[in-house]
Amino acid sequence: MTLRVLVVEDDREIRALIQSSLSVEGFEVQTAVSLSEATALLHHSPPDVIVLDLGLPDGDGLQLVHAVRRLQNVPIVVVSARHQEAQKIELLDAGADDYLTKPFSVGELLARIRVALRHRGTALAAAVTVHERDDLRIDLAAHTVQRAGVPVHLTPTEFKLLARMVRSAGKVVTHRQLLMDVWGPEFTEHTHYLRLYMAQLRAKIERDPAEPRHLLTETGVGYRLASD
Amino acid sequence: MNASRVSFSAAGQWGMVVLLLVATVTGLLLEPYVSLTSQAMIYVLTVVLAAYRLDWVKSAVCAVGAVTALNFFFVPPRWTFEVESQEHFIALTTMLVVALVISRLASGLRRETETARLNEQRARQLQALATELSGVTTPQQVQSLGCSALEAEFAGPNTLVLADGVEVLAHVEGLDAAVLDGMRCCMKDGAVLGPGTGRWPGLDAWYLPLGGRGQVSGAACVRPALAADEEGREHAQALCALLAQALWRLKLTTSMLAAQGEAQRQQLQSTFLAAISHDLRTPLAAIVGAASALQTQHDKLGPTEQARLLDSIASEASYLSAITENTLQLVRLASPGLVLRRDWESMEEIVGAVLARMRPHDPDHRIRASVPEGLPLVRADPVLLAQLVGNLLDNALKHGEGAIELTVSVQPQEIRICVADHGPGIAPAEQEDIFRPYARGDRSGRRGAGLGLAVCRAIAQAHGGRLTLQSRAGEGSVFCLLLPLDVPQPVPELP
Repeated sequence: MTLRVLVVEDDREIRALIQSSLSVEGFEVQTAVSLSEATALLHHSPPDVIVLDLGLPDGDGLQLVHAVRRLQNVPIVVVSARHQEAQKIELLDAGADDYLTKPFSVGELLARIRVALRHRGTALAAAVTVHERDDLRIDLAAHTVQRAGVPVHLTPTEFKLLARMVRSAGKVVTHRQLLMDVWGPEFTEHTHYLRLYMAQLRAKIERDPAEPRHLLTETGVGYRLASD
Repeated sequence: MNASRVSFSAAGQWGMVVLLLVATVTGLLLEPYVSLTSQAMIYVLTVVLAAYRLDWVKSAVCAVGAVTALNFFFVPPRWTFEVESQEHFIALTTMLVVALVISRLASGLRRETETARLNEQRARQLQALATELSGVTTPQQVQSLGCSALEAEFAGPNTLVLADGVEVLAHVEGLDAAVLDGMRCCMKDGAVLGPGTGRWPGLDAWYLPLGGRGQVSGAACVRPALAADEEGREHAQALCALLAQALWRLKLTTSMLAAQGEAQRQQLQSTFLAAISHDLRTPLAAIVGAASALQTQHDKLGPTEQARLLDSIASEASYLSAITENTLQLVRLASPGLVLRRDWESMEEIVGAVLARMRPHDPDHRIRASVPEGLPLVRADPVLLAQLVGNLLDNALKHGEGAIELTVSVQPQEIRICVADHGPGIAPAEQEDIFRPYARGDRSGRRGAGLGLAVCRAIAQAHGGRLTLQSRAGEGSVFCLLLPLDVPQPVPELP
């Protein structure tokens, strides 16, 4: 079955570029130049993934994210300029799955879409329980973490944090989402918890914590557990 | 005011009685030596003195008293109120008339003296106010000077409001509705309202605009206002004219400074635009060249050559992207009201993220990072700090050869992030210039984002930190960012 991608982008060149590079990869691409057109298309023929540009002429995309989240579990990848941090985080917290910063390469776009599709439905279905990459192996069911075959001992909070990252492997997870899911809703402003626990986790699972290869920092947005 | 007037009139009455008593006693004492004429002259003197000091009613009373006393004590038949001869009757009448005439003259003189004194005082006040106003720098100062000048001269209650235009008046708080109406009307007309002006004479106050029609900068409400007190009104107008002048001068100064600033900004902007368009043109030329070569000579180019051209397009485009990002950031950092998105950040994480982004451009692993564990957190905008560190590393990769050391260390009060290269170094004369936007040190024709270091310094300063440079020609350069450490550090409740 062909996967359908809805590209919401007002710039003609970028729209054409995304369309052609996704078509080559076998996706069926629909395009919309505005939020209203995108909303109309959503009801007409629901896509499997949405690529949503920020800064569209008729709105900031937040309503679209809300509308999509109410109806379906379609993954949304937000495309933003570098200075649109606040807006981007707002959309991610509202339920968008991932983001790309302009200018981006086609490789990055494909990687984001692949990860977003992989997570499609995991909110309902049984989540990923084993994460393996390079020398790192995390088994959520068995509650074990190994680095180069050697068991790594984690505190309960460290494990909870890592498990949250594993469930969204490959996707960005915002500070707010992490604090909410690991510590609770009253801790969503306590970013310093994250800094300290991430440092502890990296010290235990990374070969060089100063240049992490698993627990990546998305500056100003959140974290991403590498998974390719 | 009323009380003092009462006591004054009581003193006047008693003085009058005392004067008459003294005159009578003197007349009686001189009885053996002088004639009735001289005794009459003593009373005349009394009447003149009273007329000079007292108002005309009292002078008349005094004159009548003097005539009565003269008649009773001295004019035959003595010790009666009868008048014997016609001659004495004429003398008495003359005395009464003299007393009244002198009283009239004296009170006129007194009034003129009083007016002259008041005028002088007002002239002095105007002069003093003009002197004080020449030194003011804010409208608030003008207002407070104006208020105290009005209070000094008019009993009040007085009100002085500064408002550019009638609409602004509505937003002035604590203003009485009647006063507001009066001010609005006088500002609209650009003319004085109130008693004696022919406009709204029924009001209990004068309403004076500050400035004329078209450039009114406020209004004053002055009490008490009497239709007859023309000089008082003119004085109030003169005070308001001075205030209006001062306000006008302030407005002119402000707009002149704004115009100067604008001219300077435009000058800066055109330099900036000229420089940035030069910086954009070079990579654009490379991209267009490579792309057109691929278009037109595609078949003749070997695969290696094609790959090289594609690489060139990608790297020039990313260079353009960096210039654009730096330019935008510099504009944002220079804009007033900039708010940093600060949070508790880990320097280790920021450096890690920058390294992850830089590694593809550093295939030989020239960058060596040394970041100690357990660094304190900094309260910073992570995106800006990442851009700063990225710019420094970018510059080092471009301008230097060999290894680049990135080190983070902690001092008691600050955290220090240094990037050291082994490039050609920077001559002392150029070391300050390279931080200025587009004052790039011309080093062997190499291009670098002329804005990179300017952005770095602006970011450091926005965080209350510093960006320093140590370099000697031929020995490489060390750029260090010093950020103040916020105390206290957040305390984690470790579960």
